[in-house]
Amino acid sequence: MRRFGRWLAEHSIAVGSPLVLLGAWEWASATGLLREAFFPRPSTIAVHLRQLGADGTLWGHLGATLVRIGWAFALAAVLGVGIGLAMGLWRGLREGLDPVFAVIYPIPSILFLPLVGFLVPPGEIAVVVTTAVTSFFLIAFTTTHGVRQIDRLVVEAATHYGARGWRLFTAVLLPGSLPSIFTGLRLGLGFALIVVVAVEIVSTSRGLGALLWLSWQILKVEDMYATFFVIALVGAVLYYGLAALQARLLPWVQDVADR
Amino acid sequence: MPVALLALWEMASRLALVSPRYFPAPTTIGAVLVDRLAAGDLGAALLVTLARLGLAFALAAVPGVLLGLLMGIARPLRAAVEPYVAFVFPVPKIALLPFLLIILGVGEPAFVLTGAASAFFQIVISTLGGVRTMDPRLLEVGHNYGAHGARLFWKVILPAALPAIFTGLRLGLGLALIALVAVEFIAAKSGLGHLVYRHWQMLSTPEMYAAFALVGALGLLLTRGLRALQARLLSWQEESF
Repeated sequence: MRRFGRWLAEHSIAVGSPLVLLGAWEWASATGLLREAFFPRPSTIAVHLRQLGADGTLWGHLGATLVRIGWAFALAAVLGVGIGLAMGLWRGLREGLDPVFAVIYPIPSILFLPLVGFLVPPGEIAVVVTTAVTSFFLIAFTTTHGVRQIDRLVVEAATHYGARGWRLFTAVLLPGSLPSIFTGLRLGLGFALIVVVAVEIVSTSRGLGALLWLSWQILKVEDMYATFFVIALVGAVLYYGLAALQARLLPWVQDVADR
Repeated sequence: MPVALLALWEMASRLALVSPRYFPAPTTIGAVLVDRLAAGDLGAALLVTLARLGLAFALAAVPGVLLGLLMGIARPLRAAVEPYVAFVFPVPKIALLPFLLIILGVGEPAFVLTGAASAFFQIVISTLGGVRTMDPRLLEVGHNYGAHGARLFWKVILPAALPAIFTGLRLGLGLALIALVAVEFIAAKSGLGHLVYRHWQMLSTPEMYAAFALVGALGLLLTRGLRALQARLLSWQEESF
């Protein structure tokens, strides 16, 4: 209790400011200062959020989004790390693929939706593949970068001590590039969320993006806010959860993504 | 390698190994691209997207850098604002679109602000990071040589944060492009994103790929150009993502 008190004293502004804002919002909407049609009261939004949760609507949509992100991320991670490592190790492959990747990577992934729809069966698979595209490139880039930035001296020392082939790879190259790979995975997961919401708005009837868009179309403003809150929550959990995981697993790494 | 891939695609499409309806030959796409550029409608769509991007970026960059710097210097401000920035930063900004559409109505302000929001938070976070991670020895040296207040800010803090600010601006521009193209794809009735969407719906694939290629060229130009500019202007800085 005492420690909690001290924590509260230290973070009084950080804790107080959202509370004050929510209070002010509640008051402004209640008195009509803000139009309730656009800015429903936080308490009303909370009630709608509970309803969405209670009748199961929310869980269905949330589940659909999470499953898509999961598959897309797994696809992007496996291919991205694999190809990224290969590109880091073999110069010829790197020089061949670099220009191709450089052209495709900056294209906003939502535009791949039509193209992917031509290649694979439209529907769930197309959504997952589209979601995976940008994450894949990000992960491949950071992985290649991770292999390339390993100190030459370390590699030379390892070869002098007789590490070759598979051993060199698992004992030196992989651990050396791990921090960079992890950063890539983190950024990739963040991008998967961005893309999946956009794709769901355009082309699906299930998922948080679809729920948000549907709520807008039928002007259920409270549900819009509630859905937004859930999307933000998913984003926060993914982003800060992985940051915490990275700090735990790779405590010696200075975070490169925050620079 | 890119040439070989294009040649392979050309052959596969010409020999109908892949359906030319869905994957028209690159030369066909190139011809349509030149044709449409000459006709002016592709250029017009490009200009619309560029105008939105420029506006969104300007709306994000100025307040973003300012807020980031202020948060870096003033501790109470950081404590008060950081929870919001941290909460909204990982949210896909496209999710803000319906709110802006309701509040501002369907139109340019809502489209542009969605793009701006996408860049804004990245810029704030990068700028703040630049101020917070600067070498404390620099501050001490500045102090010892008598720099305080505004002087300390202009001569020590700002230059030290500049590389991070630039990185933030570069990433922000990329994110704004992503968000704007998505907005055009979803809601707007003009711009390159909408062009891809429309030609997808009409299955006029050569036109679709032409618009697609133009977005790719634009993205490549922005990312490569800004990277080169950064290397030029801030030549002492190490390369980072």
